[in-house]
Amino acid sequence: MFLTNKTEAWFFWVFFPLALLAPLFLEQNEFYVSKITTVVILAIFVMSLDYLIGRCGMVTLGHSMFYGLGGYLFVMLAPEYETVNFWVYTFYICVIAAAIALIVGVVVLRTSGIYMIMITLAIAQMCFYFFSDSIHWGGNDGLFIYIKPETSIFGLSFFDLDNVTHFYYFCLLSLFNCLVFFRMVLRSRFGRVMDAIRENPQRTTALGYNIFLFRLASYAMASALGAYAGYLFALQYGYVNPSMLSWQLSGTALVMSILGGMGTIYGAIMGTLVYEGLHYSLEHLTEHWLLLMGIFIIALVMLFKSGIAGFLESLLEKRS
Amino acid sequence: MDLAIFLVQLLNGLQYGLLLFLIASGLTLVFGVMGILNLAHGSMYMVGAYLAWYFFQGTESFLFSAVISAVIALMLGVLIERTLICRMYKRNHLDQVLLTIGMIFVFNALQSLLWGNDPLGVDVPDALSGSLHLTGVVEYPVYRIFVALFCVAIAAALYFVINRTRLGMLIRAGESNREMVECLGVDISRLYTIVFGAGVMLATIAGVVAAPMASIVPGMGEHVLISCFVVVVIGGMGSIKGALVGALLVGVVDTFASVVVPDVASMIVYILMAVILLIKPQGLFSN
Repeated sequence: MFLTNKTEAWFFWVFFPLALLAPLFLEQNEFYVSKITTVVILAIFVMSLDYLIGRCGMVTLGHSMFYGLGGYLFVMLAPEYETVNFWVYTFYICVIAAAIALIVGVVVLRTSGIYMIMITLAIAQMCFYFFSDSIHWGGNDGLFIYIKPETSIFGLSFFDLDNVTHFYYFCLLSLFNCLVFFRMVLRSRFGRVMDAIRENPQRTTALGYNIFLFRLASYAMASALGAYAGYLFALQYGYVNPSMLSWQLSGTALVMSILGGMGTIYGAIMGTLVYEGLHYSLEHLTEHWLLLMGIFIIALVMLFKSGIAGFLESLLEKRS
Repeated sequence: MDLAIFLVQLLNGLQYGLLLFLIASGLTLVFGVMGILNLAHGSMYMVGAYLAWYFFQGTESFLFSAVISAVIALMLGVLIERTLICRMYKRNHLDQVLLTIGMIFVFNALQSLLWGNDPLGVDVPDALSGSLHLTGVVEYPVYRIFVALFCVAIAAALYFVINRTRLGMLIRAGESNREMVECLGVDISRLYTIVFGAGVMLATIAGVVAAPMASIVPGMGEHVLISCFVVVVIGGMGSIKGALVGALLVGVVDTFASVVVPDVASMIVYILMAVILLIKPQGLFSN
């Protein structure tokens, strides 16, 4: 199995069956199904951030740039009134996002720690202003996606993007694939080197690895996945908006990732679920939910250092 | 662009840069001495502007509202340092980022709870409300010149305190070697409280003096925070001199960019920052 420990297996066998059954519980209520679809998409984004920060030790506060780019790239590339193929554009968007990440990475990865936090933030802001000030790309209001792509492979179409339930299951499958993908990467030789780089960059260099290239590759990979999540989000709501690029989104994703348990990958799903659940219920409770959310985040940092996954692991794992 | 317009833009740029310096100096001081990245620093700027508005409504005296806002800010800074920040010294940057993001949420919520979300404005104080004639037709508001001079005065005061007083000596010592300062019998936690309080007060004062020039809106803190990041990244984290140079550079470049190339103006400073980082990854004046 690709699962690393008992806690992850436990989570895996609880979460995915429940998530598969969720649309039945929600009595085909489109609103709730699309709500949880957004959560699942966000979980993909948070997972890619979790890999970057928790496993590669690269703290970025500009990850939302790729989320937004995923959406904007589709609007920029696809013809406005023609149906295009979903898979072809998935490929384009991931490749272009990775290419942009390679260029940005060359600047960003020259720095580390606090500088990296600030330069990623500033580059993401640059991108944010580029789109929010542009006349051509919709400015502050964003742009609509009039025609959603079709999803056929060699003429065979398995699902319809306009069908809320189909789209939910597709996003869930994407999340599952992401989890498996990151597990495979982390088990591979590449992943081991990334762990070594996080623990001790100097020694890893001394062992003969070019840590810059490893970091760059990880950055490009996580950014492409972040863009993929943004692409799904844009398709779900049928529009792109500069708020997808905002630094608040990067910050929130960071909170979710830490809430779930930094570097655990599957923790990203728990963090996203809990944060969004809390957000949703507080929002309905009071107009000033932001205050409670802020206090919650502060309390989280002060008291709950290793996140939900860390807490569960301390309960479930045998102490060695 | 003729000379008069050029001069006015240059003045605008320098004045904006000096204001940025006032905010960024607090950010860089807190980071340099305490190793804390305070993302909520921009919120303090916002708090300053709202406090100035609030007290100005009640008293109609700008000077009074400025002084009382600064005092409240100092108390707020000390309170935050004693209750929250003091637990963060041994934690990593990620936890600091998270904590201060939480603080931004709280401040934004309190702002909308206490003062609503409508844009507000403060009148320019009567004594400073006139305009100066630069040339025959070109005028420049006195208040902006006052703000620029005020910022220069604060910069000079900061320079004096850091380089010529005992407190400044401790601050410089704390920057280079914390443990050693502690070993020499200095109560470092008190020093930290003072520095953090001063940092918050600097941002708040900037908010107060900016209040009559800009409209007071929700989210103004985040906007200025990002500009400050650019300033301290260009200047070098922890360096006051770097913050001054960076702030003037950003102020002038940003002002001229919005005149010369308005379409991409808001991107120019970020491009400037990326270029500087490519040449000097630690900023211009890093130690």
